[in-house]
Amino acid sequence: MSDDLRRALLEKLGKADAQLGAASQPAPAAPAPAGLPTWHDFFQQNARVQIGDRGLDFNTYFSLPAASELADPSNTTSVPIFIFHHGAGSSGLSFAPLAKALHEQLDGRCGSFAFDARGHGLTAPVDAAAHPADYSLDAFVRDFRELIAWFHHTHLQALPASPTFTLVITGHSLGGSICTNVFPSLDPALRTKVAGLAMLDIVEEAAILALSKVDSFLSNTPNVFPSYANAIDWHVKRGLSRLRSSAEIVVPSLFVPTSSGKVVRRTNLQIFKPFWDTWFQSLSRRFVALPTSKLLILAGNDNLDRELMIGQMQGKFQLVVFQESGHFIEEDAPVKTAITLVDFWRRNDTKSVVIKTNWTKKANT
Amino acid sequence: MEIDSDVPMQDATEETLDPTLDEDALSKAQEGPGSSGIADHKASKPLQLDSGNIGQLDQWIEHLGKCQVLSEDDVSRLCKMAVDVLQFEENVQPVNVPVTICGDVHGQFHDLIELFKIGGPCPDTNYLFMGDYVDRGYYSVETVSYLVAMKVRYPKRITILRGNHESRQITQVYGFYDECLRKYGSANVWKMFTDLFDYFPITALVDNKVFCLHGGLSPMIETIDQVRELNRIQEVPHEGPMCDLLWSDPDDRGGWGISPRGAGFTFGQDISEQFNHTNDLSLIARAHQLVMEGYAWSHQQSVVTIFSAPNYCYRCGNQAAIMEMDENHNRQFLQYDPSMRPGEPTVSRKTPDYFL
Repeated sequence: MSDDLRRALLEKLGKADAQLGAASQPAPAAPAPAGLPTWHDFFQQNARVQIGDRGLDFNTYFSLPAASELADPSNTTSVPIFIFHHGAGSSGLSFAPLAKALHEQLDGRCGSFAFDARGHGLTAPVDAAAHPADYSLDAFVRDFRELIAWFHHTHLQALPASPTFTLVITGHSLGGSICTNVFPSLDPALRTKVAGLAMLDIVEEAAILALSKVDSFLSNTPNVFPSYANAIDWHVKRGLSRLRSSAEIVVPSLFVPTSSGKVVRRTNLQIFKPFWDTWFQSLSRRFVALPTSKLLILAGNDNLDRELMIGQMQGKFQLVVFQESGHFIEEDAPVKTAITLVDFWRRNDTKSVVIKTNWTKKANT
Repeated sequence: MEIDSDVPMQDATEETLDPTLDEDALSKAQEGPGSSGIADHKASKPLQLDSGNIGQLDQWIEHLGKCQVLSEDDVSRLCKMAVDVLQFEENVQPVNVPVTICGDVHGQFHDLIELFKIGGPCPDTNYLFMGDYVDRGYYSVETVSYLVAMKVRYPKRITILRGNHESRQITQVYGFYDECLRKYGSANVWKMFTDLFDYFPITALVDNKVFCLHGGLSPMIETIDQVRELNRIQEVPHEGPMCDLLWSDPDDRGGWGISPRGAGFTFGQDISEQFNHTNDLSLIARAHQLVMEGYAWSHQQSVVTIFSAPNYCYRCGNQAAIMEMDENHNRQFLQYDPSMRPGEPTVSRKTPDYFL
């Protein structure tokens, strides 16, 4: 669906509503659908932020470590901050169940940050006319870099100084590619705080193959549903979301309500088409070569391409396969993903890891 | 949900967060209704070969040599015999020279046959395999059946160590489990082999000078005698010395390091040199890592990596190699490319049905 078509459709729905006696204005940005969870059930804060020259008003969600946990002087390990980037067509709330599971796993001794990327969710151009849409990998990467720097400067640096924090950068699908590409561009001081980087269900070769099937996928994907409940049902029934409790927070964030109660998909996936060829180019090679600890979680089977297969067989990264998860790993298996990420952080948090040895003699270093 | 990982990580499910869950899952796998029974009637002394079982074994070997699987009943008989050979081997199995040392095979049966062509037929040539017979390739069942049959038939001529893929957990993710289901219609054969894997020796010592194992060194194992003290008859643990021996890698950085794999450790040249010195060794030979030329030296020839699966997983484009050691400990590497074979399975990977 083109933007024009979408606008026309929204207008038409609005008119239909007007004819039925309802107000023709679209509903405000984020009303809580009745009976469904809201962002507040998963994150502490929802903040809008405009950064530098990005020309976008970003919608962010985050939670900070509990002050009581930071005050515990007996715990000297670092505090992990999980920074998330969602994939194409998704939203920051895709990570809501995972963020909650992480906070539960770590008793609040962690932070989390997610946001809606450009062209997604409630993130919107400051001035739509002035900024032509750029959905190249580079544009996503620069947004992400700026937002990480902003979150670090505004919120992490304000934390009590005693325990240090470490970042775990995690991206799903296209978000994984954005994470891999953002790492080298981070400010060096911030880069040293990265304990590791995780990609969820993304393999370059498979992703490029999948792009050729997007048209048929989209033609089978409705953009309008009679209600949120209906949209949730459809996503669960189609297996796009395998955990209903996750679908209840994620799916509504993908739709904008009209006053009649109908909901229309926010993101027009077709507008990204001119940029697809930038999204996954050399991803596997770049991921394997990243000078940090790396985790790849795949859904279904280990569908590695050549670069990843060689990298894995040379012990360059950690591979985990969730056989029973669908593509949206963070939604389908939030607790399992949380445990895996915590284990990954613990293992790679060099400040707290001491390798125990019973060797009696010291090696000649 | 099962945990499906290339590392022996902490298990997790949606239902419970009991930190002891992984151990529970393991003990279930070992003792629960899943046990194959191949080790229920272990003999008190090693299997004696006689004309009867030699005939049977030769028949199986001939059959398997044509890349045909044994019947489920025959696999059961084979595994029971193999338990009575392997249970009497040591954690550090002594091996004499001359011997030809081989790395990962990963179900690439035709390349294994090529290996025997290049290295010379067993039992005329002595062989030491350092693990990873199953997973990823399409003929894990034929490959492991063949090697186990050879082991039982020629126990002094061939040594088969355990790799990190000889494990219940790993094989459920990387192909062996699915292949057993596909070829036998049930998980019975998978259960038999994975129960058998617990008995495989974990290291070998060639003429007291070359220490052979799948992965590498452990910060908890300073001497070879400490390997002898381990209880190896169990599923590969998530951590600890036995895990390390099957998972660790040599590294350019000195000392011990966190392994990027998520299991085992990395060890530097200082560690290798000290281990060799302490244990009066000339070399550590290991497998586990793909090396494009089939073999690679590290740590100024303190450590050699040998990888024997050419064009790994039908896509990596690497050569394979084996290492011959003669009576005088001279070493020679033989490299080889993938075997030509009719009906090579085309590598087809499904396109994911999703947007990105």
